[in-house]
Amino acid sequence: MSFTLSGILAVLANALPPFLPLILAMVALLITVQLIGHLRGYRLVNHHCQLTAIVSLLVGISTLWWLPWLTHSRLAFVATLTDWAALIVAALGVAIVTWLVLHPLSYLVRGQLR
Amino acid sequence: MTRQHSPAGQLDRRQLLKLGAGLGAASFFSAANLQAKTIATRARIVILGGGAGGMAMANRLSQRLDGASITIVEPRERHHYQPGWTLVASGVWNPERTVRANTDFLPRRVDWTRTPAVGIDAEQHRVTLADASTLDYDILIVATGLQLNYHLIDGMSPELVGDHGIGSVYASLEAATRTRDAIDAWIAGGGGQGLFTTPPTAIKCAGAPIKMAFTTLSRIKAVERRDAFAMDYFTPSDGMFSQPWISDFLKQRFDREGITRHHGQHLSAIDPGARQAEFTLRDGSTEVRDFDFIHVVPPMSAPDFVKASDLIAKQGPFAGEWLDVDIHTLQHNRYPEVFGIGDVIGAPINKTGASVKAQAPVVEANLVAHLQDQPPSARHDGYTSCPLITDIGKAMLVEFGYDNDLAFLPSFSFIDPKEESWAAWVLKDYLLQPAYYAMLEGRI
Repeated sequence: MSFTLSGILAVLANALPPFLPLILAMVALLITVQLIGHLRGYRLVNHHCQLTAIVSLLVGISTLWWLPWLTHSRLAFVATLTDWAALIVAALGVAIVTWLVLHPLSYLVRGQLR
Repeated sequence: MTRQHSPAGQLDRRQLLKLGAGLGAASFFSAANLQAKTIATRARIVILGGGAGGMAMANRLSQRLDGASITIVEPRERHHYQPGWTLVASGVWNPERTVRANTDFLPRRVDWTRTPAVGIDAEQHRVTLADASTLDYDILIVATGLQLNYHLIDGMSPELVGDHGIGSVYASLEAATRTRDAIDAWIAGGGGQGLFTTPPTAIKCAGAPIKMAFTTLSRIKAVERRDAFAMDYFTPSDGMFSQPWISDFLKQRFDREGITRHHGQHLSAIDPGARQAEFTLRDGSTEVRDFDFIHVVPPMSAPDFVKASDLIAKQGPFAGEWLDVDIHTLQHNRYPEVFGIGDVIGAPINKTGASVKAQAPVVEANLVAHLQDQPPSARHDGYTSCPLITDIGKAMLVEFGYDNDLAFLPSFSFIDPKEESWAAWVLKDYLLQPAYYAMLEGRI
């Protein structure tokens, strides 16, 4: 049984609606924080914050625990190469998104404190 | 009755969300639809049943045939995602997650008859409905699903599910929910004897009885009183599953988990008040066993009105019980204007939603060929799939077909059908239901 690209998109069109509010909220948060940061002088390469990196890393690592739990499973059942690849990609994605939100946020907070 | 399309200003939330998710894919759907040439025809097509097979065919044919009169006969208002019932009975899903309105799926150009069919005159090309009205057809698609024959177990009826420690995931969504409650009550009781049965007939979702044993075991382990619970599994066959490798795997797993296997036995009677079950052995003798919980899987067959028609198999392994179709073309063996899809057909495997996904394009292609006076050219390879839950949280994606001793037919090269995995569980938990709905819509 093979899936065509149109078939995969048809499945996604049925799979995504329950999660769309969450996805849209995350995207809105990301865009809002990035936009406000840039309007107030934030630039990705010019701002450094080690705490942001550590927190993002911890949030990413925590994905290894809460993502299986969220899917009614547990880390002990993550067993195959595919399982680990999927989980690590998800953890990396969560860490990157967290960093993209926290990094400009830390710039804004630091500006408030000055 | 056809699907009611809301004006743009009155789209409900679900439709809006779906619209948003689907917009990006719209161009691909259009391209895919253009690949199959539309056929002009005045044929009268009757589809018996609005389950997985019937609904998928209604959508496919309404897209493919221009000018055809398509009628679907389906008395129920709601569509049940039955593959989710094991997850309901296991306490993983809320029951509501498995229900949608038929109007969500029925295409605009299909007439919906809610009066159930009670007879088929294959010679006269006529279907009789419960109100004595009739539907004449040029093409008939039999997609009735199957009939649960609880009455063949003495003392058993679907109304008993949920009482006296009796569970049965097959009877209905409500029964699946009551089965969950019965398992809860058994586990809360702190221990006792659990019996898990399979009947001496073909059954839909042949993995469901096994899944129920495994998910119940998972819940027992969660309360850390495994030793207080005895579990016994009864099957009339020598194997555990039709696919040989999986059958051997399951034997080993059951033995390792301390679930006692009983082969060559099937449930023949039950005394709910006394909580006793009678099993008939191959030699005709019987054994009575006490239970605190029993999961009953009833014998199954084509519906009575299909069995009473000339469409039923007359000889061979499916005689008198299942629709007589060529298992590859899905065309009736004696009435070429009749096609079968889904649980009702006589086939060695194939009573799953995944089978319907593989069968629907074959029926569509061969039905169109028949309308054009051409021989059927599309061939069903027997593809079927069972996301075999081996614990709450992991599963095996078992896909196989008719050929090479039911050899595996994996859809994804990165998921090994012989391995238990979280990925297969996530597929079952989150992605197979959307795939099922896309199938109903005729999009995959």
